[in-house]
Amino acid sequence: MAGLRTFFGKSWNQRYLFLMVLPGFLIVLVFSYFPMYGIQIAFKKYSAVRGIWGSEWVGLKYFIMFYKDPTALRVLKNTLLLGIYSLLWGFPAPIILALLFNEIKNSVFKKVVQTISYLPHFISTVIIIGIVRTFTEREGLFNKIVSLFGADPIVFLSEPSWFRTLFISTNIWQGIGFGTILYLAALSGVDPTLYDVANIDGASRWRKVLNINWPHIKSTTIILLIFSVSGILGTDFQKVLLLYSPDTYEVADVLGTFLYREGIIGARFEYTTAIGLFQSVVAFILLVGANLISRKVSETSLW
Amino acid sequence: MVGKEGIGSRMFDLLNIGIMLLLCVVMLYPFLNVIAVSLSNSEHILRGDVTIFPRGFNIGGYSYIFKDPFLYSGYVHSIIYAAGSTLFMLTFTSLMAYPLTIADFVAKKFFAIFLVITMFFSGGMIPTYLLIRSLHLLDTYWVMIIPGCISAFNVLLFRSFYQSIPADLRESAVIDGANDIQILSRIYLPLSKPLLATFALFGIVGSWNGWFEALIYLNDENKYPLQLILRKYLFTVSFGNGAGTQAMQAMLAQLKMDPRNIQMAIVVIAMFPIMLIYPFLQKYFVKGVMIGAVKG
Repeated sequence: MAGLRTFFGKSWNQRYLFLMVLPGFLIVLVFSYFPMYGIQIAFKKYSAVRGIWGSEWVGLKYFIMFYKDPTALRVLKNTLLLGIYSLLWGFPAPIILALLFNEIKNSVFKKVVQTISYLPHFISTVIIIGIVRTFTEREGLFNKIVSLFGADPIVFLSEPSWFRTLFISTNIWQGIGFGTILYLAALSGVDPTLYDVANIDGASRWRKVLNINWPHIKSTTIILLIFSVSGILGTDFQKVLLLYSPDTYEVADVLGTFLYREGIIGARFEYTTAIGLFQSVVAFILLVGANLISRKVSETSLW
Repeated sequence: MVGKEGIGSRMFDLLNIGIMLLLCVVMLYPFLNVIAVSLSNSEHILRGDVTIFPRGFNIGGYSYIFKDPFLYSGYVHSIIYAAGSTLFMLTFTSLMAYPLTIADFVAKKFFAIFLVITMFFSGGMIPTYLLIRSLHLLDTYWVMIIPGCISAFNVLLFRSFYQSIPADLRESAVIDGANDIQILSRIYLPLSKPLLATFALFGIVGSWNGWFEALIYLNDENKYPLQLILRKYLFTVSFGNGAGTQAMQAMLAQLKMDPRNIQMAIVVIAMFPIMLIYPFLQKYFVKGVMIGAVKG
């Protein structure tokens, strides 16, 4: 009892602190925790009138529906493939660029190139895809390049086989410069005397990159890789939404766009909540798994 | 790095400079092309020979777009949403982070865990949408300002920044009889100016460039931010075909204009504020990434 009393006494003394936390606490409670509570409609027949709590339980009905829905399975496959290809092509790009930046000797030139390379990061997705659209038109830049090789014009945006290339290459274009920042920060920690020692030993530049630079960025690389692997299902669907069309659904339709079309537009709330839940569970497993593997293999981990 | 460098090493330097110049071209060309196309005439646009300089100078796209009241309304709303969400984000984040730095705050651990959980679990798009709908927030200004304004990650970053402020400062203020709100506003916040500036810019750019929340939460075109007006011009309005657009086509032909004049003009107008503050912006963004990395 005495313990409880001191607890409340202390709390009263700290009432200003509680007051300060309050607005943030309420916003997180309402806009992060209430939706988590809402996930239960994945197992219910949702009725807006009866509310989430009052709606009737239906068990795993929507998960079974998901398992049997060929469109949803195609969407899952697309999401996975787009994620894997993005990781494969997109992940190494900023590392290579950072190592190249690091080899530039003129610091003014380096600064200018870096600043220019960050630019696309600040431009909205709507604008980026708008530019992609004009470049992929019949008389656009890409078809000019195609015609240099004597090939017929390509209708890039309606061609399923071009979707992933367009999506991933514009992602790299937009993110490669800004993505170098963390690696460059790690590289700036290299002790310059290491290079001197290496020079005395007559090491080639490639050797120096391999034996001096790489060990310095390794842990950054692994941590970012863990995040990327756990985000493999978290495609930037907002960008897909702007880039795809019914012509390219067969490769372009991903979980996020499917949830938007079926859930928000089509009002199939229970079904899409179930798919969303599946997606977050898989993402969580991937995060824990990637972290576990990384801890075993490299002794670097998030927690 | 003095003295004898092999020929291979020098070749590599040349190659590297070449790669860097190519990189600059690839990064800058699309933007210069957009500006050039917005200022060219239809003949050259249709032939596709506009590169980085306007050909057949034509400002028809701009005069068309400036007549659209939605452009102004989009601009104003984007400013309202960016300013509102950033202001609330900074205020509530700095308030919430402060008590978490105080060692003997009784609920410190509870609030920390309460926040960290949201970094790993979320309700997802559909339950969040249903919640917003049942709170009658659809088609309000608030939906663009409040729901996203607190992120656990930001609060924890603010906390670790505050922790770098010497605890003696707080202790002596307490002895002088200051309460915690005074300590935050008179000691902590003035010392956190670089952090506040960085996150203000993060918030403004994020909100300015965002469009998906507006797409799902706003139906009223009069409340659309600029990005959705832009989307309408770039993606949904078709100038080229359809029955109702013949008058439009005649007008365009008469002015030697192409739909792309209009589209690229609005892209330029939407990019303008970001480009204007870009040199300043990128410096703070780099700083912000570093703060995040030290913590994360």
